[in-house]
Amino acid sequence: MKLDRINVTINMKTGIGIISLILAFLIPLIFGINQYLLTVLIITLVFIIYSSAWNLLALSGQASLGHAAFFGIGGYVSAIIASSLGLPPIAAILVGGLFAAFIGVLIGLTCIRMREWFLAMVTFGFAIIAHTITTELSWLTGGWDGLPAKRLIPITITNYIMYEYYIMLLIAVAVIVIIYLITKSRMGLALEAIRENELEAKVMGIGVTKYKLMAFAISAFFTGIAGALEVHHFGYITPEIYGMDISFWPIIYSISGGLFTIGGPILGTIVITFIWEVLRTFGLMYERLILIGVILVLIVIFLPKGLVSIPEKIKSR
Amino acid sequence: MDLSVLIQILVWGLYAGCIYILLAIGLNLIFGVMKVVNFAHGELLMLGAYAAFWIYTLLGINPYLIIALAMVILGIIGVFIERLCFRPIMGTGKLNEIFLSLGLIYLFQNLAALLWTTDSRSIHSPYSDVSVSIGSIQLPMDYIIIIAFTVVFLIAFQLFMKRTTLGRAMRATSQNREAAVLMGIHVERMDMLSFAMGSALAAAAGSLWVISGQIANPYMGSIPAIKAFAVIIIGGLGSIPGAIVAGLTLGIAENIVPLFMQSFVGLFGVSMSFTAWKDTIAFFILIIVLVIRPTGIFGEKGE
Repeated sequence: MKLDRINVTINMKTGIGIISLILAFLIPLIFGINQYLLTVLIITLVFIIYSSAWNLLALSGQASLGHAAFFGIGGYVSAIIASSLGLPPIAAILVGGLFAAFIGVLIGLTCIRMREWFLAMVTFGFAIIAHTITTELSWLTGGWDGLPAKRLIPITITNYIMYEYYIMLLIAVAVIVIIYLITKSRMGLALEAIRENELEAKVMGIGVTKYKLMAFAISAFFTGIAGALEVHHFGYITPEIYGMDISFWPIIYSISGGLFTIGGPILGTIVITFIWEVLRTFGLMYERLILIGVILVLIVIFLPKGLVSIPEKIKSR
Repeated sequence: MDLSVLIQILVWGLYAGCIYILLAIGLNLIFGVMKVVNFAHGELLMLGAYAAFWIYTLLGINPYLIIALAMVILGIIGVFIERLCFRPIMGTGKLNEIFLSLGLIYLFQNLAALLWTTDSRSIHSPYSDVSVSIGSIQLPMDYIIIIAFTVVFLIAFQLFMKRTTLGRAMRATSQNREAAVLMGIHVERMDMLSFAMGSALAAAAGSLWVISGQIANPYMGSIPAIKAFAVIIIGGLGSIPGAIVAGLTLGIAENIVPLFMQSFVGLFGVSMSFTAWKDTIAFFILIIVLVIRPTGIFGEKGE
């Protein structure tokens, strides 16, 4: 009986996933080529990739407060490579991701032995250091003014925004599937074991250092890809990409959706972005950020497993 | 480098260090008693600075008398934060504390921006034109007052913790919570008190900061708070002398190292300014310390 129920819920989740995917594919057909709507959706997809990548690192018990470092490094490397070597953006993005992964391993090497909030501080510090290095290397990065970046799809092509949307959707789906497979693999189990109790995991023969470093590298890779995608969507990059808010968004999205789950970062990004955009139409600015703060506090206190746990909560009542 | 320039920089470092020390001691106290890390501590500094600004603007009394009032106001705010936010999540894991603090950062920064705009605010200190000259060295009076204030705060804090029953009860709670309960100490009241005192110390830092001629704005708290974290990690969790030494070291290093680097590369004929690196020095020190000892200098006995 119990097994049956688990199967049903898994099927339900897959069902929801497939239905939302179909909906996502249909959106441009239903609403037409709406520049505003598609731009919002593209950014949502970028942040779904980003939050899922952050969440993968969190899965190993390592909460980074400075993921903007990887987001920005991916963006800068991709933008510079695309313009100087003439690579098409879609290929440059991979280089950006790989470079971010390389930096991720270096940062990971300093971080993996640290306790939660030491790691939080140090990752935060790396984002500030990355920001300083970028602004100081102005011959390469354009300093505070930033750089122009090639568009993913040239704007001269009609309906370029629609093509861009579909490319983003494909990449996002691919990333989520890869992350899903990782969490279901040996590595995912190892990461969870490490998060629950690092010492016990070590005793069980799990290579704690190896898996934590791998989590850092993979998370940084996808974060770099997300950063590069954003940069090639907007067509420019400035050091603001290292901002504190850029580091905090994936955390807010993941927590409100549901930490350590696949659906959490996706749902959280969509719901919070929706609230954000609705409030924008009312012309609110600081109020929306205050609301984000309040939502975060309330979720941590009253719904620590995020929005995805609401069905369970209702059932158990 | 000119000697008098060096001494001026040392005093500037001492002054910045005092702000870090006041923040760090508050954080240390809260961590010691509650084993909770409040990443939103910088926002308490910001609120303290605004409290000082508004009391000064509305009442127009001598800025240095305002500090006590700002501390009381922030102490009360601290009690509310502890009761409403941190108490419900105590014991649910370190990650939750980090995430909750993020929410508080968003809440306070933007509330301040909404209520008081993002304009920079400042107070005109009556002593801003006064300076003490020792030989050829000019020391601003405000810096000396602030250093003196910090010393007084530290002595008062130490006396409170060592000599009073309440201070002893707080230390007992931080050493062993269960045993403290058995000894009849109301540990939850100690939590509340530690948060109130930590917030009041942040308010002292904030009001001293704004009174000494620095500007206040809603986002002023993040960087000093982050550095205060670095200070308590470097100096050791729960160690007051450690925080003092690390705070002063950081304040001085931040001001000396860029100049030192500049004259160093100058030896090779390169002219390059390192002032942009000032805010990263705390992290470089922090990273070096943590790579050598992942649990911090006085690790182990922390959590």
